[in-house]
Amino acid sequence: MKNAMGVELSESERSLVECYRTLVRILKESDDLAPFERRNALKAVAALWQVANGLDLDPGQIYDIGA
Amino acid sequence: MPREQIEALQVRKLKNLLAWTQESVPWQAKRLKAAGVSADSIKSLKDLRRIPMLTRDEWMQAQLERPPYGPLLAAPEEAAIRYHLTSGTTGRIPLQVLDSMKDWEWIAEMWCYGFWGFGVRPRDIVFFAFSYGTFVGFWGAHYASEKIGCLVLPGGNMTTEARVKQILSMKATVVCSTPTYALRMAQEARTMGVDLANSSVQRLILSGEPAGSIPATKRLIESEWGAKAADTAGMTEVGTIMIFECEKQPGGTHIIEDHYIEEVVDPESGEPVPYGEQGERLITSFGRGFIPVLRYRTRDLVVRVPASNCSCGRKFDIYEGGIRGRVDDMKLVRGTNVYPRAVEAIVREYKEIDEFRIHLYTADGRQDEIEVLVEITPAQDKQTERILHELRKALSQAHEGLRIGVKQVEAGSLPRFELKAKRLQDDRIVIGTVSERRTTA
Repeated sequence: MKNAMGVELSESERSLVECYRTLVRILKESDDLAPFERRNALKAVAALWQVANGLDLDPGQIYDIGA
Repeated sequence: MPREQIEALQVRKLKNLLAWTQESVPWQAKRLKAAGVSADSIKSLKDLRRIPMLTRDEWMQAQLERPPYGPLLAAPEEAAIRYHLTSGTTGRIPLQVLDSMKDWEWIAEMWCYGFWGFGVRPRDIVFFAFSYGTFVGFWGAHYASEKIGCLVLPGGNMTTEARVKQILSMKATVVCSTPTYALRMAQEARTMGVDLANSSVQRLILSGEPAGSIPATKRLIESEWGAKAADTAGMTEVGTIMIFECEKQPGGTHIIEDHYIEEVVDPESGEPVPYGEQGERLITSFGRGFIPVLRYRTRDLVVRVPASNCSCGRKFDIYEGGIRGRVDDMKLVRGTNVYPRAVEAIVREYKEIDEFRIHLYTADGRQDEIEVLVEITPAQDKQTERILHELRKALSQAHEGLRIGVKQVEAGSLPRFELKAKRLQDDRIVIGTVSERRTTA
């Protein structure tokens, strides 16, 4: 996986980015999350957005999922 | 990251920001369309100049027309978790802003650049001399400290004495405050018989006023606290800091260039000025998506120099001397330009002066006069005449021979400030043109 500047990500970085993408997908698609699950997943996604952004991956905006 | 990569990243982020703005803020989209700008039309940083500048007046007007936030929001209000206001020192009404969860994390992340860059680490104990209100101030810094893993001491709603006591009892290693308030706490500590220079504090992180980069003020703070002091500067319009001083203390502040584009332009013509020349900074922020900020006129005066002026290895350019003042700060006194920051730089050379105020007034109903009122540490009373004489001379020499009165006032009689000190009082009768005279500080 390469970032927007063409730099290859390390394995750990790739894993974090995958975590971020998975969380975004879950928060978008799932309607079976309990409030405590959703709020903590949102906190995590807001933090992981900083990782994706810091790795120059153009993570976009995520206001639609509440973050 | 080499310069060319930083610029390539900025172009990419700028295109994304423009696309987001066009899609989600019709008010901004209309302005961009009128200027013939679209995300696709951005090929290099030179294209940035085609984007219309945004002034604070335009922002305020937009808020007045569609309260409370104006037509600037890119996301529904329900997505917000924070509300903050500007401190309102330069405008008629404060600007009101919102942040989402992700934006708020980003705000803390920018402070992390500053904290980490100045050597703050998880083992640190950070005290905030901050009132935790709707002014954004050190809020982001508080969360940045938590993010780094520091122990945070939130010193809101405390007297200065109580703050000093807690800094000592909790063995704080980092203190965050305005430069003015760092001096105020040092003064209080002296009164309490405490030698702060021997305390556990190793670093002070300063913000909220330009004084953090005035060498004499900084020297005084560092000597009173026996600690290193770093300047930072932020603004409510972007929610956080955009510049910070690194541990190498290069005499200026690095620009966080992977999250912002900072331009320096002539305040009159709007044309870019080269490295080393003073101009007004414009900011474009890639962080807060809730309110996209494109080429915002800050009115801050800065001098940009290359990153190579610092030995830390960062490739982020530097504002030499931090923020040097405001475009609208300058006062004209009998034909001579007077900048409050320049006066402070001289006054702070005198360690015996605890507090000061610049007072402008009209004598005999027609002549502008300027005087500097000073409080001198009671223990230094014997030095008063010498200090007043020397200061009068130094101020005059620095202002083309302008006669500047210097008067001692009673200790404790001048106001103290926790945030954004207002040390200039302009009581002149307005008889000149508006551009020559301003009646308020």
